Amino acid sequence: MIIDRRKVLAGAGALAIHPRVARAQTHVIKVGVPMPLSGPAALYGQPALKGAEMFAAEVNASGGVLGRRIDILARDSKASADEAVRVARELILKENVHFLVGTMTSAEGPAVSTIAKEEKVILIAPIPKTDQLTAPRNLHPYVFRTGANTTIEGRSSAEIMAKWTNVRKVATIVHDYAYGQDVAKAFVEHLKRLRPDIEVVDQQWPKLGEADYTPFINAQLARKPDAVFSGMWGGYFVTWVKQARPLGYFETLENRIINPAEVGSIEVTRTMGADYPFGIWSNTYDIAHYDGQSEAHKKYIERVSAFTKQDPPSTWPITTYVAMQFLTEAIKKANSTDSDKVSKALLGLTIEAPFGRQTLREKDHQADRGQFYGRMVKDARGGPNAVMSEVRYVDPKPFMD
Amino acid sequence: MRRQTVTGVVVSAALFVIAATVPVLGSRYYTFVATDIVIFAMLATSLNLLVGLSGLVSFGHAAYFGVGAYVCGILMKAGGVPFLAAWLLGGVGGALLAGVFGYFCVRLTRVYFSMLTLAFAQIVWAVCFKWNDVTGGEQGYPDVPMPDLAFLDWLPWIGSLRSGDKFYFVVLMLATVSMLAMRRIANSSFGRILTCIRDNLERTQFIGIDVRRHQLVVFTIAGGFAGLAGGLFGIFNRGVFPDFCYWPKSAEVLIMTILGGMYSFWGPSIGAAVLIILNQYIVSRTEYWPLVLGAIMLALLFAFPRGIAGAVGAAWRSRDRFNA
Repeated sequence: MIIDRRKVLAGAGALAIHPRVARAQTHVIKVGVPMPLSGPAALYGQPALKGAEMFAAEVNASGGVLGRRIDILARDSKASADEAVRVARELILKENVHFLVGTMTSAEGPAVSTIAKEEKVILIAPIPKTDQLTAPRNLHPYVFRTGANTTIEGRSSAEIMAKWTNVRKVATIVHDYAYGQDVAKAFVEHLKRLRPDIEVVDQQWPKLGEADYTPFINAQLARKPDAVFSGMWGGYFVTWVKQARPLGYFETLENRIINPAEVGSIEVTRTMGADYPFGIWSNTYDIAHYDGQSEAHKKYIERVSAFTKQDPPSTWPITTYVAMQFLTEAIKKANSTDSDKVSKALLGLTIEAPFGRQTLREKDHQADRGQFYGRMVKDARGGPNAVMSEVRYVDPKPFMD
Repeated sequence: MRRQTVTGVVVSAALFVIAATVPVLGSRYYTFVATDIVIFAMLATSLNLLVGLSGLVSFGHAAYFGVGAYVCGILMKAGGVPFLAAWLLGGVGGALLAGVFGYFCVRLTRVYFSMLTLAFAQIVWAVCFKWNDVTGGEQGYPDVPMPDLAFLDWLPWIGSLRSGDKFYFVVLMLATVSMLAMRRIANSSFGRILTCIRDNLERTQFIGIDVRRHQLVVFTIAGGFAGLAGGLFGIFNRGVFPDFCYWPKSAEVLIMTILGGMYSFWGPSIGAAVLIILNQYIVSRTEYWPLVLGAIMLALLFAFPRGIAGAVGAAWRSRDRFNA
């Protein structure tokens, strides 16, 4: 065979210019993870990243996927939409990542989804909850969500409250912005469907970042509700509890309060210690120990504990761990890392997550991801901190539509 | 022509040629970084009309950038307005808002002026953050459409480029026109009066110049150009978000301006390029980027108290003196 110098040069040039060709040559599967790793949101972003890293380490130790290693390329999205877009583009254009698994806030998710659509690179969003992400008008073949959304969260809470037989008058308190509005709407609509006898007597809408919740709390108590749905989260929850307690809020309501937004997670119970409003109901993505826990979940908790050197471990690694599980199963099923093939393989895909079976629905690219719900109590297991009791995984399958 | 003018024209032309050759490198990544830099260079230069030229330190310049982005993005997506018209209206939006806020701000001086600009910017942010029906609230306004660039297709080389590169050329052209306009303003007699006000406000008042009116006019102009930069960034970013108006964005632009050198016309552009490249480079290498970036900034600001452009300029002049 005669080797033409020009042809070789031209070929090399083409390889250098076309990232897709160059990409196919590499033996590594690159997964970009844009996640807030600095600032206040890093409190959740850092442990969330650990899940993907642990998953990659486990898969690589057992020979990789399709015989290829998984590389996790983490980038700080700074919890800002334009920075998330910037790092997502850098990951795609410069690092030639095959997939994106990440974003946290409800602004980051849809922002990066647009880039995923344009660049034809799959984005699996493990955390953003906004319904907008997978709403029909925003849906495209390259976006999927393995986390819960506001509809699931609001309706799960309604399912729990519907069982409180002595409750007739219900009130809500959520921040006046997209998440609060959406989750409260989902809760109220579903509760009315389940319990037509219940009356919503009051809805309070403090603004996000409100320093003084007192007027809202007083106004709510004046309407004498039997139970309350609250959408407070993170530091806002802490402030709200501090201001509500001296007003006798929790005693008056006899703790008939359900507050999802992961304030039942160990991160929050640790932060608040003895100041936690014991007796309320809440939720969490993951929980280290509970009755009826499967062997698979126990083993998973042990591994996360060892990987993150934390006991009990953070509740956030599970978010990206499950997203990575879906991704690798789809790669195996498609026998390829091609975006279009993997996208098709993800539709209707079922996996065995540590806490149970999960399916990515074909019609809206949304996983049937429920959360653990339970009553937050003081008992020997938690020392001074609240622990979740009466734990149940609320499966959203029956009420997602 | 005066020698200074010649140097200015040469520097401007050289920068333009360098910027225009980026797509030749063939990497979409370089084009993406270059687009980012050109837009922020425009924004930082508009801020410098206030900070460097007029001595008005605005802590809220991002507000006009954000409003320009929202106006342009919403008009294009929801209103179906053609790109050029939407872009210009974005600038008008920024200028109008700056005119209203500036009316109050220029009544104050120094740090009180700065605080009021910050307060107004936070109001703009809060409105964008909460007005779900119009701005999409905290989730932002995603999927701003790409302008139709088919009109470029008849051009010999540009017409054959990828859409990202074509958009880059459009950004570069519009930014060049805007920069030349700002340069013209800075070098006009109006610009000289602003510098006069910066250096000695009382004396300028004594010679019969309406200080507040001049400050209000430049505040409005700067807001307008910030709005124009915002319109381009909203399209480039493929969505507009309340972060655009938030105070860290104002701080970022202020850092670009000071780092690059606020007493030089091209200083802020250099600052924008340095900060964006450093940010991209460091963030992709370490999650401890705030520490590394902070340390580099500290070193740069200590080494070049008048900014990078100031240091380069001083070196240039001392060479002249040496030769003479």
